[in-house]
Amino acid sequence: MSNPLRDMEKPDVIFCIGTNMTECHPVAATRLKKAIRNGAKMIVADPRHIGLSDMADINLQLRVGSDAALLLGMAHVIQREGLVDAGFIADRTAEAEAFLEHVKEFTPEWASEICGVDPALIEEAALLYGRAERGAIYYTLGITEHICGVDNVQSLCNLALMTGNIGREGTGINPMRGQNNIQGAGDVGAIPNNYPGFQPVTDPANQAKFAKAWGREVDLELGITKVRALEQAGDQIRAMLIDGENTLVTDPDRKHCEHALKSLDFLVVCDLFLTETAALADVVFPASGFGETDGTQTNTERRVQRLRKAVPPAGESKPDWWIVSQLAQRMGFKGFEYDSAKEVFNELCSLSGTYAGLNWDRIEFGEYQWPVPEDGHPGTPRLHEDSFINGRGIFKMIRYRDPAETIDDDYPVWLTTGRRLESYHSRTQTGRSSGIDYLLPEELLEVHPDDVSAWGIRDGGWVNMSSRRGSVRIRVKATKRSPRGTVFCSFSFNDVPVNVLTGSGYDPVTETAELKVCTVKIEVETETGGVAAD
Amino acid sequence: MTRTNEELISQAKGQEAPLLPLLHQFHERDGYLSEEALRAISAGLRIPLADLFGTVTFYHHFAREPGGQAAARVCTGPVCKMHGADALLTSMPGATGMPCSGRCDEPIPVLRGNQTWVGLAADALERRDTPVPPAAPAGTTECVFAHIRDENRKSLSGYRRSGGYAALEKAVTSMTADELIAVVDASGLAGRGGAGFPTGRKLRAVQEAGGGPKTVVCNADEGEPGCFKDRALMDHDPHAVLEGMALACVATGAPRAFLYLRYEYPETDTLLARAISQAEEAGILGDDVFGSGRTIRIHLRRGAGAYICGEETSLLNSLEGKHPFPRNRPPYPVTHGYEDTPTAVNNVETLASLPPIVLHGADWYRSLGMGEHAGTKVISLSGDIARPGNYEVPLGLPLATLIDDWAGGPRNGNKIQAVTMAGLSGGFLAGDDMDVTLDEPSIRAKGSFLGAGGIMVFDETRDMVAVAHQAMEFFAHESCGKCFPCRIGTQRLTERLAGDAGPGELSSWLDEMADLNATMKATSACGLGMAAPLITESLVRYFPEEVRAHVSGS
Amino acid sequence: MSDKSGLTLFLDGEEVPFTRGESIFQVSERHEKEIPTLCYDDRLDAFGGCRLCVVELEGARNPVASCTTKAEAGMRVTTRSGKLEMHRRVLLELVVSENREVDVDELSGYASQEMATLVDRYEARTGRFEGRQSGASRPDDPNPFILRDYDNCISCYRCVRVCAEQEGDYAISIMGRGFDTQITTEFGGILKESACTFCGQCIQTCPTGALGDIKALRHKEIELPIEKTRSICIYCGVGCSVDIMTKGDKIVGILPAMDGPANEGALCVKGQFAFDFVHHPDRLKTPFVRDDQGELVPATWDDALDKAAAGLMAAVNEHGRHSLYAIASGRAPNEAGFMMQKLVRAGLGTSYIDNCSRA
Ligand SMILES: Cc1cc2nc3c(=O)[nH]c(=O)nc-3n(C[C@H](O)[C@H](O)[C@H](O)COP(=O)(O)O)c2cc1C
Ligand code: SF4
Ligand code: SF4
Ligand code: SF4
Ligand code: FES
Repeated sequence: MSNPLRDMEKPDVIFCIGTNMTECHPVAATRLKKAIRNGAKMIVADPRHIGLSDMADINLQLRVGSDAALLLGMAHVIQREGLVDAGFIADRTAEAEAFLEHVKEFTPEWASEICGVDPALIEEAALLYGRAERGAIYYTLGITEHICGVDNVQSLCNLALMTGNIGREGTGINPMRGQNNIQGAGDVGAIPNNYPGFQPVTDPANQAKFAKAWGREVDLELGITKVRALEQAGDQIRAMLIDGENTLVTDPDRKHCEHALKSLDFLVVCDLFLTETAALADVVFPASGFGETDGTQTNTERRVQRLRKAVPPAGESKPDWWIVSQLAQRMGFKGFEYDSAKEVFNELCSLSGTYAGLNWDRIEFGEYQWPVPEDGHPGTPRLHEDSFINGRGIFKMIRYRDPAETIDDDYPVWLTTGRRLESYHSRTQTGRSSGIDYLLPEELLEVHPDDVSAWGIRDGGWVNMSSRRGSVRIRVKATKRSPRGTVFCSFSFNDVPVNVLTGSGYDPVTETAELKVCTVKIEVETETGGVAAD
Repeated sequence: MTRTNEELISQAKGQEAPLLPLLHQFHERDGYLSEEALRAISAGLRIPLADLFGTVTFYHHFAREPGGQAAARVCTGPVCKMHGADALLTSMPGATGMPCSGRCDEPIPVLRGNQTWVGLAADALERRDTPVPPAAPAGTTECVFAHIRDENRKSLSGYRRSGGYAALEKAVTSMTADELIAVVDASGLAGRGGAGFPTGRKLRAVQEAGGGPKTVVCNADEGEPGCFKDRALMDHDPHAVLEGMALACVATGAPRAFLYLRYEYPETDTLLARAISQAEEAGILGDDVFGSGRTIRIHLRRGAGAYICGEETSLLNSLEGKHPFPRNRPPYPVTHGYEDTPTAVNNVETLASLPPIVLHGADWYRSLGMGEHAGTKVISLSGDIARPGNYEVPLGLPLATLIDDWAGGPRNGNKIQAVTMAGLSGGFLAGDDMDVTLDEPSIRAKGSFLGAGGIMVFDETRDMVAVAHQAMEFFAHESCGKCFPCRIGTQRLTERLAGDAGPGELSSWLDEMADLNATMKATSACGLGMAAPLITESLVRYFPEEVRAHVSGS
Repeated sequence: MSDKSGLTLFLDGEEVPFTRGESIFQVSERHEKEIPTLCYDDRLDAFGGCRLCVVELEGARNPVASCTTKAEAGMRVTTRSGKLEMHRRVLLELVVSENREVDVDELSGYASQEMATLVDRYEARTGRFEGRQSGASRPDDPNPFILRDYDNCISCYRCVRVCAEQEGDYAISIMGRGFDTQITTEFGGILKESACTFCGQCIQTCPTGALGDIKALRHKEIELPIEKTRSICIYCGVGCSVDIMTKGDKIVGILPAMDGPANEGALCVKGQFAFDFVHHPDRLKTPFVRDDQGELVPATWDDALDKAAAGLMAAVNEHGRHSLYAIASGRAPNEAGFMMQKLVRAGLGTSYIDNCSRA
């Protein structure tokens, strides 16, 4: 996030797009609710009528995967109505002229054709955001998990740049990071393009720096993404080490994924439980988890905080860092002799510009948000206050692209997936915590009541839902939260492995999977005698 | 033709203070407030459903079972009890009780849907007009009652015939707000709703407060047991009240005013609605008051049965559709009232005094009082008295004069044992302490207060512990539940007066009573909790023997 | 608190500075006056219900509630006097009289001891003011998280206010009035059928244990002291601070950290209640290796590490260093991710690493 969580109480106009915040980041959503209580207005763009929609002043219920068109339409209105922040554009941005010319083409009427939102509503939303004193954008995977995820993010940046809604309290472009430490995973360099602290591996200076630290030169070439690695499994990739991820269930296109993991020569998995993925491994290490180990994690607002051990680890389980460092030693690698998480973290700080001013003791109370470039630096709650890291904010000329799959006669229904408040990912943890079942006993496919009758299915009845990649059996729940023609379910339940269906495409830049859109057909389940199954 | 949910809701959405009217429309259309209705209103007005539900349950009269709206409600206030309200209630299947409903001069009122019936037996109930105030003794000059007995005074033409709306016309055409406030200030008029705050000062505070639009509220909740004066004023002189409200608007610069009327006065509701529209049609109210270009819109809002909604901040919450707890003060309504705008909340009688004061001047009004006391006060006199009714007395008039000379003395020639003051809120006066004059200093010296001017008379045949119990039951029933001393204290006092709980030994009983009284008076969050212990305090003071008998018998 | 405005008032005779907008209570807190409260939660708008916080203010006829009264220059405030203490004691005797019990287990919730502590401080277990008890418990609500034992409710409405003001869910409200007020959902139903998200905020602010943490209370019988360890929730990216409650080697419950920088006392159902997977029997307790029959069988750390190292190195040796790929977790701590990337970089000189941010 460009801005701290605390800022979420400060905007006068909130624009939430592709984020089901009340379910996925409930505590962050409480701050938005406070802003609303204090008079802020909210625009919500989502294919479904989500919890946030209930509180919104303007609801833009767009077709799945059409975000870029909607955002172009809004940019058009902001340009046309002269709501651009000329001063900000002149001082802080580049390519503005071309961009403002570019958006003239994309009228709300044009956008409406694609995204299905009434042009008048698009206008209204654009005016509201365009006139905001402090406009803040929040988004999640509903924006990124598309083949055009990067375009979508860029389109949001364009809106913020043209209206100067960045670098101030209560503004910004704020991705809500999904997992507890997904921010940290990037920060520490567990990505194919950067060393810790987002230092590109392609820069020879960085290569030299890390060679000095670690006694080994790392390729100047980028590594490959997980998506590629899974594609090349059994080919170029022969062995994998997976820490704490149930790849098989949470990744798209489960069949493909299972095939990939099975074609490895050797698979090592660390986890708390024998997950579906761990069950395929040659060696499984028991990791210790929440409450059992010391460590650090970094939240969505870049705040580095300490995890602490409260009870002895289960059985012989060990902290992940210990397991990996022991393994490295046995693989014959040098420099893996650590006694504590503290040592590991302090090494990370010594090598990362963003964490340079931190060390284990300094983050005792979690008051720092990176970058903390040196000792004594107070941290950076808000990014881009005076300037952008790379100089100017550059407008990008985005055009709308269709999703990898669009509905047709064979697969006439849009499926979009997501999470639910009460369960987390593949439920390895929430599913094993007592009581959660009371709230969420099973996965249900949310279908608009009109579709339920039109498709000849029954509320509470079983259906088969299939895509070009596979099919699952699931029970139907009629609800107006789903728009007509679009259905929704989460990927949390192993008996409804929705990711058997997904995986139609990837963003060409980030190779993020298009988990938010795929096309399906829905048929009354016949094998088990249809609705009698329950 | 019955209107759909959507029609009702979309119409309400465009209005000021839409919740109460909308609830009433559903209540009347369906005969109760159904779950479905509340869901629709919650979605339509964007009020969280649980909040809306909680708020609806706060009001005594909102029925949540089919048929509940029309079911009979019998007044079981202290005076009606003297007249056999309990027996009447049991004789009417399906009827429920309601607290004093402002008809103590002509009991017993029974509410059926939107109709008031009165009578002492189920088969003798009739619909009757609110009694006209008895004529004042010769030689007295009245202020608010001066024309109330005039023929046709209720109608706009009748009102104008005897000088009605001349004060408003004068104010909008030839007076500045400052001049207007100066007259009110100089008149010495103080609030007639209970607290007695100087009216001129209140108007000035609102006028000078920053922010807007400003708001005037006429407090016609008249929930105090033994008070029925505002009803008489509104029923027989509605335009005087409206004119007073309009004058307050001119003084403060408010373009809008609300009249918050208690639920139990349905006929008054109809009458006021008609009066407002007549005045608007005549260009007296509305967007161009007397051609001055000034806007004054009066919105009529009906309560739903909650004494606490007469407390001004609770009233404001009620208007706004919130849970009607009193607010914490400061800030006061004069700066943060209706929707946080500067707001003058004034009683019906206070406002009705404004037109004559503006017309006849401050000195005239001051001179109506006796001695150093300025002006008049309407006293609602009821109970064991020969001629109950509303009497507009000069402030400073001896209580004995009112009782004996004006109202014909005690009923049946019995001896008077005690009177209440300020309805029930002032507790009892008895014995020599009944030797007071009707003005605040005199009555406050006895530990009580005149307040809104309700006086109930109890003769020697009455069981004062039982009367105190009824009074406390009322306060417990009406305690809003916000603050601990009142919420629990009124309950404990009621139980003790009923003999249901409490120490059996007199000194412990009295200790508990003294501690409760002291803590409630000192720490309650609003006037209700502070006033309730005056009942027990005065009971123990004036009737120690009765109390001893009560405790030892229980 | 520094103050540039130079505003001061007199607190028990001592001149003290304050900042505009502060309540008398807040100023008194800073000066450790220990004014008792029951309806106060510093995250919520001051409500003024319990009246325990009343103080004497020179010039005011009655004591004023210090929580709702703003400090003003020159005020003369007395926070403790014989009269005030008498009123406070009476108020506490009153709340004792309306409840079934005063003492509740500490596992009930964060603020659950507030009332009992004050009752003891004021020696208010006198049995005076006995009479009918208020509040009706809801044993019919089958939810496994939130105990609704309103027999012990004192109508402070902290739960209602926290649900509205902090959580923004407006799931509960106040039914009826006076002594008969009752905490309720819409139409008096069970929580699951209301707007409740089971965030647990109401439990944690309840000063009497009327609302209690059912999951934590399961461990009430373990006769060991409760210890608390500050950590961070491991579900979403908000990073809420929690205090893990343990008895011996067992995690018995979670408390939100009121001073947690990301959450300031808030949590959601997962952070609050989904903790006991830690002790689930399915936990892996030893390493496993695949045996000759292709079965995963328990192994010692030595064996497993050797076997894993050998297996991974075999691929590297045969197919080159770009044949090993590491997938780090967005769920594991920074140290885990750091070690994973160091393994491929320092060990093999590649950047063949990714994490789960792409799916
Ligand atoms: C419990 C309680 C009930 C009250 N009820 C009424 C009422 O019914 N009518 C009224 O005018 N004032 C009532 N008041 C007084 C109002 O709060 C307020 O002081 C009054 O409306 C101001 O108008 P005034 O200055 O013209 O008297 C009540 C006060 C309390 C504490
Ligand atoms: S004194 Fe009684 S009526 Fe007034 S706020 Fe307290 S509980 Fe409510
Ligand atoms: S658990 Fe949370 S949402 Fe539910 S009632 Fe309590 S505070 Fe409200
Ligand atoms: S349940 Fe607890 S927090 Fe809620 S009102 Fe009762 S005592 Fe207060
Ligand atoms: S803390 Fe002030 S009244 Fe409760």
